[in-house]
Amino acid sequence: MITRRIAVAAAFGFSLVAASLAFAQAPSGKVTVVTSFSKDVTDPIKKAFEKAVPGVTLEVQNRNTNAGVKYLEETRANNQVDLFWASAPDAFEVLKGKQLLMQYKPKATGIPDKIGSYPVNDPQGFYFGFAASGYGIMWNERYAKANKLPEPKDWQDLARPAFYDHVSIASPARSGTTHLTVETILQGEGWDKGWRTIKEMAGNFNSITERSFGVPEAVNSGQVGVGIVIDFFAFSAQASGFPVKFVYPTVTTVVPANVGVIANAPNKAAAEAFVEFLLSPAGQEVLLEPGIRRLPINPAVYAKAGADYPNPFTDPRFQKMIGFDVDKSEARTAAVDTLFDQLISFQLDALKGVTKVLHEVDAALAKKPNPQAKALADEARGLIAAMPVSEAQAASPEIKAAFTGGKEKGARQAELESQWASFARDNYAKAKAKAEEALKAAK
Amino acid sequence: MNATMPPSVATASVEIEGVNLSYGANHVLKDVDLSIRPGEYFAFLGPSGCGKTTLLRLIAGFNEADTGRVLIGGRDISSLPPWKRDVGMVFQSYALWPHMSVRRNVAFGLEERRLPRAEIERRVSVALDLVGLGHLAERRPSQLSGGQQQRVAVARTIAVEPKVLLLDEPLSNLDAKMRVQVRRELRDLQQRLGLTTIFVTHDQEEANTICDRIAVMNDGVVQQVGTPMELYERPANLFVANFLGTANILAGKMAGSGPGRHFVIDGGIAIPVPAEISVPDGAKLVFRPQHAELREADAAPGDDLALPCIITHREFLGASVRYGVRIGASEAAVDVPFQSGKDLREIGAKATLALSPRSLRWLCG
Amino acid sequence: MTAVSTTPHRTRRLSATPGQIALALAIACFLLFFLVLPVATVLYVAFTEKGTGSFTLVNFYDFARTELFMRSLWNSFYVSAMSVVWASVLALPLAYLTTRFAFRGAALVQTLGFLPLIMPPFVGAVAMQLFFGRNGSINLLLDDWFGFKIGFMEGLNGVIFVQSVHYFPFILINLSAALRNIDRAMEEAAQNLGSSGLRLFRRIVFPLALPGYLAGASLVFVKVFDDLATPLLLNVKDMLAPQAYLRVTSIGIADPMGYVISVVLVVASVLAMWLSALALKGRDYATTQRGGGGLAKRRMTPWEAALGYGVVILILALVLAPHLGLLLLSFATVWSFSPLPDGFTTAHYLRVFGESSLYIKNTLIYASIAGGIDVVLGVAIAYLVLRTKLVGREWLDWAASAALAIPGVVLGIGYLRTYYGITLPDGTPLATLWITIVLALAIRRLPYALRACYAALQQISVSLEEAAENLGATKARTVRRIVVPLMAGGILAGFVTSFSTAAVELSATLMLVQSNSDAPLAYGLYVFMQSAAGRGPGAALGVVAVVLVALCTLLSHLIIERSQKAKGMGH
Repeated sequence: MITRRIAVAAAFGFSLVAASLAFAQAPSGKVTVVTSFSKDVTDPIKKAFEKAVPGVTLEVQNRNTNAGVKYLEETRANNQVDLFWASAPDAFEVLKGKQLLMQYKPKATGIPDKIGSYPVNDPQGFYFGFAASGYGIMWNERYAKANKLPEPKDWQDLARPAFYDHVSIASPARSGTTHLTVETILQGEGWDKGWRTIKEMAGNFNSITERSFGVPEAVNSGQVGVGIVIDFFAFSAQASGFPVKFVYPTVTTVVPANVGVIANAPNKAAAEAFVEFLLSPAGQEVLLEPGIRRLPINPAVYAKAGADYPNPFTDPRFQKMIGFDVDKSEARTAAVDTLFDQLISFQLDALKGVTKVLHEVDAALAKKPNPQAKALADEARGLIAAMPVSEAQAASPEIKAAFTGGKEKGARQAELESQWASFARDNYAKAKAKAEEALKAAK
Repeated sequence: MNATMPPSVATASVEIEGVNLSYGANHVLKDVDLSIRPGEYFAFLGPSGCGKTTLLRLIAGFNEADTGRVLIGGRDISSLPPWKRDVGMVFQSYALWPHMSVRRNVAFGLEERRLPRAEIERRVSVALDLVGLGHLAERRPSQLSGGQQQRVAVARTIAVEPKVLLLDEPLSNLDAKMRVQVRRELRDLQQRLGLTTIFVTHDQEEANTICDRIAVMNDGVVQQVGTPMELYERPANLFVANFLGTANILAGKMAGSGPGRHFVIDGGIAIPVPAEISVPDGAKLVFRPQHAELREADAAPGDDLALPCIITHREFLGASVRYGVRIGASEAAVDVPFQSGKDLREIGAKATLALSPRSLRWLCG
Repeated sequence: MTAVSTTPHRTRRLSATPGQIALALAIACFLLFFLVLPVATVLYVAFTEKGTGSFTLVNFYDFARTELFMRSLWNSFYVSAMSVVWASVLALPLAYLTTRFAFRGAALVQTLGFLPLIMPPFVGAVAMQLFFGRNGSINLLLDDWFGFKIGFMEGLNGVIFVQSVHYFPFILINLSAALRNIDRAMEEAAQNLGSSGLRLFRRIVFPLALPGYLAGASLVFVKVFDDLATPLLLNVKDMLAPQAYLRVTSIGIADPMGYVISVVLVVASVLAMWLSALALKGRDYATTQRGGGGLAKRRMTPWEAALGYGVVILILALVLAPHLGLLLLSFATVWSFSPLPDGFTTAHYLRVFGESSLYIKNTLIYASIAGGIDVVLGVAIAYLVLRTKLVGREWLDWAASAALAIPGVVLGIGYLRTYYGITLPDGTPLATLWITIVLALAIRRLPYALRACYAALQQISVSLEEAAENLGATKARTVRRIVVPLMAGGILAGFVTSFSTAAVELSATLMLVQSNSDAPLAYGLYVFMQSAAGRGPGAALGVVAVVLVALCTLLSHLIIERSQKAKGMGH
């Protein structure tokens, strides 16, 4: 395994680099950053950074998160990139796992260890949060008015019949931030109850997009009414004049946006200067610009923000995200994403089919209660909620190995996927039969 | 060829009345009037660009006349689209469809007429047998020789039993030997079917050998209509005289009047003009090389006209010898039958050109 | 008169000259280094066991057993086939009316009909959603007036709709060329025998134009089969190409299945091309006749004209709707859940004005070099395949055509994997030079130029070359002085197709762009289309791209026309 060997060599290399860190020279020259942030975010920060650290030019390579990780992986043998700068913490975890990041200890002060209950920085110091964002619900006012949608307030609202076929979300396998949301629900409500909530919500999905930005784009143009998005998507859309609204639910996920120095960076000094700038008060203040609208991680900076600017350090909704277990999340990342895809994304039509009938049953029951119908409907809901694997299984080494190619020989990834997909298909079909029976009984 | 019944044919006349056609400023057909009799083998003859193919396509419906009309069997078809005219056309390129077999090509027109399957099959084999290609029915056109392709094109056309058959330069894509054979076959076929046929060609020999009558065309105008012999013997104008066979054309002027009229050839030689012939202004003297004789310089003229001349060149043609002679300031050609053992005349020698007055014509351009 | 016809099967050489062998080797090397090797370094993963890396075929077994993949395979076939059908429905009337009738504005129709191919990524889809989406202009109006909506953009049917509109120009271009080349006598003979109207078209005209139609249809089929962007933007995931993309680019999962699907895609595409070549065998009717001049152009009756123009305008309105939407979007202040934007502004153009000049310059350089490489390779490969008897020459053709089926992202990763380790003397990796982007574009668009050159060479009679050789020209000089000038129209057509589609290509570029200063327009578009505020400027940049490419296309059309006119006068 040649790549392994290189990785080991790189690991060796960076300990030497870390040792020489103390003698860093004054930064100069070009510093290259691979980022998934849009021009609206990178341009003002680039400008402020180049002003704050004269002599350094920031070269921005815009790639989506997945392509960026792939790119760093493919080019590691002759790395030309200094920094990786993106939202999704899991992407940084992957880079860290592949020894593509360098350890660093920022000198900036005044930054707390945790935001909500999520650690701001990687405990080992491979990547650092520089901003936070909250997850919430964004909707198009014109769409809501035309379709007579009530104002959503919380996640559970989205499972109500009124929202059937009006909701959109990004696939957690594609969007690290959505993944965190799913994981938060799973950890907050427990494995089985959490999946039940997610699937009930998913029954109302209109679409599951491949890009994070696909959701706000669809809501902005009015193709979809409601989207589950990160707050800044909604704020920047509002800043551009789109008729959209946003609400943080009672339990929101705090998503840190991160930056990390690439192992073997050609311009390490400037890379570190960029990290320091982002964490400095000057850098933090740029985040308040309307086109960016991220939540600074330095609580002191909020003094300069408007009164209505959300503050995760004081807002109770952000504090409710209790005991998020990063290790637990990491152990089952691939399994959770794959379960979501196989049970929901690729079976969406079947899932929506049952959900629609169940909504009709609820409507009929509201008019005329019928215990038999209610029992059948509950049975159907149970079938939908059922999971092919338990929480313990999902984090087991066998399943982990199926995704990462580890030593433990279990079922192959394709076999697991196939099993889970047919489990879902069978259950949704059975649930549909029950639901239709219930509808007949209720009428 | 096979003894099967040939397709029954309703022969029809073709009348072309006062047809004019222009492409923009280009006046392609000018006041064309023609009458073609039922069962006639008729040719449009003329140099390229004379409008003969345009006229043919007009009958088929591919060109539209600005004025005038076309009648077939007395019925005006001018406003009918090509597919309703019942006029069969064989294209110069044959236009055999390469994606169909020979049989399918021939069956096409019958299928378009929604005939019963059995009837189509019968008529396809009759048509193919008629041209002697029954054994090649399953081939693709690309697998046939030029002559065979031509016959398929004919079979395809006559299979639908058209009222009139149009042939657009049907021999031009064949080699010399094939041409002679195919034109005879076409003639045989036409006679057996009794089908009114119009044949477009620029080759006077083709027209002369097989056609009943010919319309000679030039510059969009029908110059003369007649049998091959009439056209040869009594051309109506210089163009016809020159286009059909070789003609000697001598420019000159009329002199005197009444019985003593003379035509003075440029260069001074005067020729008496018979009283019954009228010579229009600007007319030229025309005679065929075969109608003249060469005699010794001092020979007695007899009834014939005798014009002194000098031999300028000589071509040996096998059956005859063609001499070029100078008469005054004009040039002429004279064909003399070749007799073996007899000496040819030398270039530069003096001679007398003898002409029967009956063979003289005075024609305008 | 003799028919100027060429039979492709006519073999006239027993062996090749050393020059031809050298040329073939050079092309083979180019394809090897810039197509086969980079792709192989990526696709070999399909044949390895996860974790151990040892050789196995079990992944293909898993592929066949997985319901999702088999469903995706079937969906991909279904969508591709239906897209061909609908693309034909759009292309047939345009091609037929503009070539067969004296149709005023035929050249304009042909030019406009080419535009849908130039659909900038992302913005095109957004514009289309705004028009045809479930809450697009049309559905909002329908709902308002009649109380119902049409799911133009929903599910597989949505993919079929968008793909037919996007790719139908391939059929239009090829079919029009084929229709123009039919000897008019072929059609007249049928009319003379009593055939007319649709029957005439079905039985004679269409079968004769079949080679051109099949060439276009197979291109549409393969492009739709391999396209991942459209299904993903419409949130359709159960098709093969999106499945491959999702898996290849998912982070943190080392999954060979994405590469297995890529292999299946390549095999299916090559198979489709091969089948269409097989269907064409022996059907290549070179029916152009000297003086024949293509189909007779019939004049239309007033009723026919009204109907004809109605159909043409309807089709053009449909296929150009995305561009109209794009134009509106580029001037729109806010456009959300309404038939038309709330207001109009030129601010977006002002915003992109400054930065777009760099993108435009890069795009023009990259796309024209890529187009240039493509026509040179296209002419060379076509010549080797059609005019020599080199052993294995078809493989050049197959390899170049297979590029059609390689997902851009696979090619991009392959380039990084193969060339990032190789450095220039100053330490810069080879893969970071902008020329890498050009090579990737050239490889991706080679099949288009190749098909055009191939068709052009097929229509040149071998005897014209023989005449030149007979008069003492060497083969190389014959190619330069006779073949290339006669192919000029086809070469330019190939260049235009390669150039214009390369100018809006994103997937491979995104992987290979190293810095903003090297970035082409498509990358600039991508960067803009990541935020709400970037939608307007992105659309403005998209309009700039379309106008730019359309102008270049028009220019080349004019050049073709002029050169052909000059040739006509030279006779």
